[in-house]
Amino acid sequence: MSDRNSDVGGIPIEEVVVEASEAVRKDKQTRTPDSTWVRTFDHFRREWQIYAMLLPTIIWFLVFLYKPMYGLQIAFKDYSIFRGAAGSPWIGFEHFETLFNNDQFIRAVKNTITISFYNLLFGFPAPIILALMFNEVLHATYKRTAQTIVYLPHFISSVIIAGIVITAFSPTVGVINTIMGWFGLDPIYFLTQPEWFRPIFVGTGIWQEAGFGSIVFLAAIAGVNPSLYESAVVDGANRWQMMWKITIPSILPTILIMLIIRIGNVMEVSFELVILLYQPATYETADVVNTWVYRQGLQSGQYDLAAAAGLFNAVVAFTLVMTANTLSRRFSRTSLW
Amino acid sequence: MSGVNLDGIVKAYGALQVVHGIDLNVAEKEFVVLVGPSGCGKSTTLRMVAGLEEITDGDLTIDGRRMNRVAPKDRDVAMVFQNYALYPHLNVADNMAFGLRIRKMPKAEIKTTIDDVAEILGLTPYLDRRPADLSGGQRQRVAMGRAIVRHPKVFLFDEPLSNLDAKLRTQMRAEIKRLHNRLGVTSIYVTHDQVEAMTLADRIVVMNDGRIEQVGTPMELFNNPANTFVAGFLGSPPMNQMKGVITDGGARIGDAEIKIDGQTADHVGRDVIVGIRPEHVTLGADETTSTLPINLDLVEPLGSEALLHARHGDDNLVFKADTNGDINHLSGVDAVHVPSHLVKVFDAETGRALSMGA
Amino acid sequence: MQRWNLYSGGDKVFAIVVSVLIGMFTVATLYPFIYIAAVSFSSGFAAQAGKVVLTPIDATLEAYGYIIKDPKFWMSYRNTFIYTIGGTLMSLLFIIPAAYALSRPQLKGRRFFNLFIAFTMWFNAGLIPFFLNMRDLNLLDSMFGIILAFAVNAFNIILLRNFFEAIPQSFEEAARMDGANDFQVLWKVFVPLSKPAIATITLFCIVSRWNGFFWAMVLLQSEDKIPLQVFLRHTIAQLSDDDEFAIVQTDAAFSAETVTAAIIVCSIIPVLIVYPFIQKYFEKGILLGGVKE
Repeated sequence: MSDRNSDVGGIPIEEVVVEASEAVRKDKQTRTPDSTWVRTFDHFRREWQIYAMLLPTIIWFLVFLYKPMYGLQIAFKDYSIFRGAAGSPWIGFEHFETLFNNDQFIRAVKNTITISFYNLLFGFPAPIILALMFNEVLHATYKRTAQTIVYLPHFISSVIIAGIVITAFSPTVGVINTIMGWFGLDPIYFLTQPEWFRPIFVGTGIWQEAGFGSIVFLAAIAGVNPSLYESAVVDGANRWQMMWKITIPSILPTILIMLIIRIGNVMEVSFELVILLYQPATYETADVVNTWVYRQGLQSGQYDLAAAAGLFNAVVAFTLVMTANTLSRRFSRTSLW
Repeated sequence: MSGVNLDGIVKAYGALQVVHGIDLNVAEKEFVVLVGPSGCGKSTTLRMVAGLEEITDGDLTIDGRRMNRVAPKDRDVAMVFQNYALYPHLNVADNMAFGLRIRKMPKAEIKTTIDDVAEILGLTPYLDRRPADLSGGQRQRVAMGRAIVRHPKVFLFDEPLSNLDAKLRTQMRAEIKRLHNRLGVTSIYVTHDQVEAMTLADRIVVMNDGRIEQVGTPMELFNNPANTFVAGFLGSPPMNQMKGVITDGGARIGDAEIKIDGQTADHVGRDVIVGIRPEHVTLGADETTSTLPINLDLVEPLGSEALLHARHGDDNLVFKADTNGDINHLSGVDAVHVPSHLVKVFDAETGRALSMGA
Repeated sequence: MQRWNLYSGGDKVFAIVVSVLIGMFTVATLYPFIYIAAVSFSSGFAAQAGKVVLTPIDATLEAYGYIIKDPKFWMSYRNTFIYTIGGTLMSLLFIIPAAYALSRPQLKGRRFFNLFIAFTMWFNAGLIPFFLNMRDLNLLDSMFGIILAFAVNAFNIILLRNFFEAIPQSFEEAARMDGANDFQVLWKVFVPLSKPAIATITLFCIVSRWNGFFWAMVLLQSEDKIPLQVFLRHTIAQLSDDDEFAIVQTDAAFSAETVTAAIIVCSIIPVLIVYPFIQKYFEKGILLGGVKE
């Protein structure tokens, strides 16, 4: 029993009740807390496993993503394979001067922005419209089946997509020209015509990604409080009005965030598909920065100049993404990552 | 010394100290309940005992061994979590066996242990079920089973009943008590529910703001709260607290004079808080009581008793009265009578209980 | 469908119009696949004459007969399986433990490590330095190089980390009190609890490996190492660049077009087989990796 009473300072409660924690502060000063060093050592002794789990990935990032960033220095060097990145002499911004005097590079920058702009103009609204339409489809199986099908192209490789496009748009065998023939139109060799590249490229993008892109908006629509619709029904609104007055305003934050992401990715034209679809005849409208880098660097071996162009692209992209994230923070108070 | 011993336990997150030096001895086989409002540091204290939170300062000993730097698994303690933390992908038997398998207990031994514990907890028919297919009470039992199978030195309970509905909570509370009586394992139990604390505890530790307000048996705390906080925390409804001034032989509250046992002469004129428990008043006067006039607002019948909501001066008060099957006779009440030996007095400034030195 | 009975006339018309439009878009999505399948089963002559629109003309399996006799096709098919299975396993081996570590509040420098990984989503060095780095590492024309160099990406780590972070802390704590170390907590508790997220990542990895083209084209020179996508690209390039190949085949039962179409069909089929499994998960999966508080 004496043990128990000691908790209140050994004084029987019936007489004077003392605030417990005050009575025991007496020997507080004599104790020395463990030093930071002991704590740190102890932490790693106990938690070393999580560091061991993280280490391989950190090394991977260093070797495969950060080391190339160090290699970017060749953008400021007269790079030669034999001397290596570190051994090559510095030449400052010479490559950048060359770039900005290079008509093909300037054209590639312009093409990148133009294609992105068309992607934004036509490709951005498509998934939103699709999601709004899916929301109005009542038959569950029909809706499910349609969704399953429209998500599918996202998972198809760009080589196959390009293969389909090349076959379908071929002047002799392609179905497009066959159908045009039914209406007495002359065949067009679409993929050699500069003015046709962008419509085909952007259209292919919509075909491939609109369905998959609608998932985000469908999720946002699913998050709308159902009682809003119920009260609108009671108020006599029809579905069209509900779409404009409830659904769209409710998913506006999502739309804004997705728009900002898209703007942040303006420099990221899917160049893999460009490489697969363009040809010298359509470079004029099709050549983007990354395809130019690919040809200059990997095909022609002008590594330093191509690296400079890549760096330019990366810096612009980085700036855009950072700006986009700042903006989205302001709009939604949630950042994108 | 066996049991659990906390000596000046401090928890700080950076510069923010949330537990300010807890001293507590939990004797072997004792059932101690830490109770207090949310954010008072009771869960943090429990988690420091468990080893889930680092101890910033102070010493923790279990069974005489210093545990500050010992990993949770080596402290020989088991914990029942608020959300039970049952693994949804394992059935009941595997949930209970999880810790034993990790500790490489032989298969046959695991089986007998699980069977025994399932028997005790009435879980035998459910051993093959997944947690999702169990009721709240059954999940709660599995969570306890998982702790019991390990035969730990100490059980830690972190608000284990707060996810259950009121009826089930009462039932499980009794079950925990019975289990403790049967197994006799040292237990530390955290709750914000004072009823749970009163019913389960050998001793209650009332915490507030990272400090211990008072430690004692349920009845000690109920009868002799150390301060206004404890007085207001334990008991339902809580103790009525009114501002008053000490007079010779009692205290004056507004226009009323309340008699208090003991020597008040030394304190005359002192500002105090007078505490009267709702259930301590009577409707009829006798020679040990003094009269407190009230304005009755509302009578809430509870069945055999009724709550009288009333005002005296600026104070809102609640009293309990017997109904004797009818509340009509309560509507005319205009005063309650307070037995002098049941009146509590606290210092108005510090809130600490004052003893009038009998 | 119960809602239907409560709809006004105008709402019913609206719903029908929308359903029809959706149907049209769905058909438009599906049509290219049907078209390419039809080409693959048509005779070379019919394909060359541009007669194929919806169904095979002069139906034949000649194109398939041609490709299954081509050892290069089988080699590339085999290689794609190696890249897909090896690459996916490699990815999981890196990603799961890393995501677990990054989700632990006790990890010191957690903010730094998260930033270290996320930064690569916003800035990357570009094609040339990456290529030169691969050359310096002696990983050109190396199957292992392909498997290793594309094993990890920030998005998948963050996706899984977010999922792990949402698992109540008490699961880890309960396992720890039961004596589990971090590897056991991860393997016995977190992995089983995260099946949907891990399935999502696995499937993303599988799809991206199966479809991987550009770097395989750039990094691999040996014909016996190239994956299906590169092989397909070579075939298509022959089709569009080399008219002679087409002319030579004109009278045959198959042509470059039907052969290409047949390879396309063969490389889509595995995607179609795993697709139903993917679909169960990816809708939730992409949302997991996305916007985060």
